[in-house]
Amino acid sequence: MKVFWLLFGIFAATAAFAAETLPPAPSRYFNDYANVVSPGTAAFLNAELDQFERETSNQLVVVIYPSLTTDSSLEDYTQRLTDSWHVGQKSKDNGAVLFAFMAQHKLRIQVNYGLEGRLTDATSKDIISDVIAPQMRANDVDAAFREGVAAMIAATKGEYRGDGQTNYSRHSANVRAAGGYARIVFFIVFILLWGLARSRRHVVYGSRGRGGFWGGGGPWIFPGGGWGGGGGGGGGGGWGGGGGGFSGGGGSGGGGGASGGW
Amino acid sequence: MSAGKVLLFLFGGLVLIGVIGVLWVIGVYNSLATQKQAADSQWAQVENVYQRRYDLVPNLVNTVAGAANFEKSTLTQVTQARASVGQVHMQMPTGSAPTDQAQLNAYSQAQNSLGGALSRLLVVSERYPQLTATASFRDLQAQLEGTENRISVERERFNQTVQSYDTSLARFPGGMVGHIFNFSPRPYFTAEADAQSAPKVDFSGKF
Repeated sequence: MKVFWLLFGIFAATAAFAAETLPPAPSRYFNDYANVVSPGTAAFLNAELDQFERETSNQLVVVIYPSLTTDSSLEDYTQRLTDSWHVGQKSKDNGAVLFAFMAQHKLRIQVNYGLEGRLTDATSKDIISDVIAPQMRANDVDAAFREGVAAMIAATKGEYRGDGQTNYSRHSANVRAAGGYARIVFFIVFILLWGLARSRRHVVYGSRGRGGFWGGGGPWIFPGGGWGGGGGGGGGGGWGGGGGGFSGGGGSGGGGGASGGW
Repeated sequence: MSAGKVLLFLFGGLVLIGVIGVLWVIGVYNSLATQKQAADSQWAQVENVYQRRYDLVPNLVNTVAGAANFEKSTLTQVTQARASVGQVHMQMPTGSAPTDQAQLNAYSQAQNSLGGALSRLLVVSERYPQLTATASFRDLQAQLEGTENRISVERERFNQTVQSYDTSLARFPGGMVGHIFNFSPRPYFTAEADAQSAPKVDFSGKF
């Protein structure tokens, strides 16, 4: 019984803890939710990080939040975020996220397992306190992130090789392919049903209008716009200018990285 | 239907139930074994990050000891705490998670006092600006901070894996099958052991 209550307590506690809603995975590499970086720089960095994944398969993501809203520590919060975003490729775990919380003046680089060898805690700390923080103090936010991203790219280059694709582009290619198949299947089903309907109607008329099983005389095969709905699932586009969208590859991490502020 | 056929039916039914039962037990057994395995490999991760900190200490001590008249007592505490971690570590089972709560507590306590001693060392270091300005000290400090964070992440994950294994054992099918095949619940890190000398508390509290 004691064990039961102990376990019950633990689950209640974890449930309460888990109740904190985490922000969803970002849809781009460079995400400025605080609107502090110029659109040009944001688009440029997004394109650069997209290209970096194509070349190295490394996923580097930047997120700028207006404020840190959590009851737990910065490190715990960013760890849970990167865990839920699965940054980096599966089995390589080669992802890292640069977090900035504007109101608290906090920075953190969260490094997943696969990049720990290159982007060590010490390197992350140097990037934060020697590259980003001075520019933030000087109020040059654009330069801070341009140089910070450049430093992260320089540190993580060379360990892995990419295949010219990003996880996002692969994924949307799959979706397009699936959409294509869906259309073909739908078309075949349509032809079959159409044929069936014709033969059915023939039978119904033959038996002198006893009210068809398929309902009223109307062309039932077009029920209220169902045709239009079936064609969905094509295209996976939808990004603005400057590089593609980001989609996590399944990487995980164990709390590597460094924190700092300005 | 003749009596023979009825018997045959009954017999067939029993065999069928038996086969289904055996398959079911195998399923429950496998899920328990998987969870136990997960706990063991997560324990390896925990030991990994503790080892990382253990290996960092000599470097840190050497760097700090190089600074002019650095407070000796702080250094001694760190060295002693490291030695006791080494001793406790030798008594731990290899290749699997600990099975004894007291043993885990002793391990956790030794590790926590090393963490406490290290964080005091960092706080004391602040009084030696020439030391803290050096690149090697800054690197070591960053590594130590990162390692402390890794420790808390892997410990937390260990607790979660062990808790889900223990829960399976405490609940119905797992408990019964576990009893037959001698699965025993595993201990996990407790909050009391943490609270004694958690580094984060020491940072603000002591000085």
